[in-house]
Amino acid sequence: MFERFHADAQQAVVHAQHEATVLRHDKIGTEHVLLGLLAQPGSVAARVLARHGLDHDTAGDAVTRALQSRTGDGAEDIDADALESIGIDLDAIRQKVEAAFGPGALDRDPRRPSRRLGGHIPFSPRAKKVLELSLREAINLGHNYIGDGHILLGLLREGDGLAARVMTEAGIDLTTLRQEIRAELN
Amino acid sequence: MSDTAQLAADAGSRDPAVGLRAVRALRILVERLEALQVDNAREQGWTWQEIAVLLGVTRQAVHKKHAGGRGLLRRER
Repeated sequence: MFERFHADAQQAVVHAQHEATVLRHDKIGTEHVLLGLLAQPGSVAARVLARHGLDHDTAGDAVTRALQSRTGDGAEDIDADALESIGIDLDAIRQKVEAAFGPGALDRDPRRPSRRLGGHIPFSPRAKKVLELSLREAINLGHNYIGDGHILLGLLREGDGLAARVMTEAGIDLTTLRQEIRAELN
Repeated sequence: MSDTAQLAADAGSRDPAVGLRAVRALRILVERLEALQVDNAREQGWTWQEIAVLLGVTRQAVHKKHAGGRGLLRRER
């Protein structure tokens, strides 16, 4: 289906892959797709989202926050209080380790591959669904190509992923957003 | 001294919830440090045998545990 993707939509997918790599995630989720769209400021999706105050940096922060608060996803937090109860100062350890190995060195889950440079990261089932829905959105609009705007419509149609949550939490009304994108695409 | 006394009391806590949480946190910390140090040693050209000796385990054990995440032939987990 990628052959129907316009250059901007392809770029969004490439950026999504990059976002997942940088964040050391092992799947491309809807949040990476959203960040991929926002990585191209001139695109339809990024312009419409910018009108609602959502840019790449804002969305990136929101994604990081959401993932930190989600338990069981990513590296497990080391329980500093529990260590303190046996006389171990986690902050002191963290300071020394980060001095030698860089920020976040202690927060990586060793069981996850941490060096995926250039490696292929698969789409999550939800992100895959988003891409399929973007095709359907394009067909609904009578378009014979998939642009980045259609991908954003796909994200909205899917509606349950982290991307939708980030947009909702940014105070964006998804129905309004949907109408605006469709207007831009017509 | 009262801080020390408090820590000593906690460390010897008979409350399993306190003690077990501490053990779990310590284990995660140890795993992270081990992965970091083994990666670092490999990057500096240490052999698995040399690493194993200092960790006090067999070469096979350290290789099985850490070799998967590195290099061209790394396994996907």
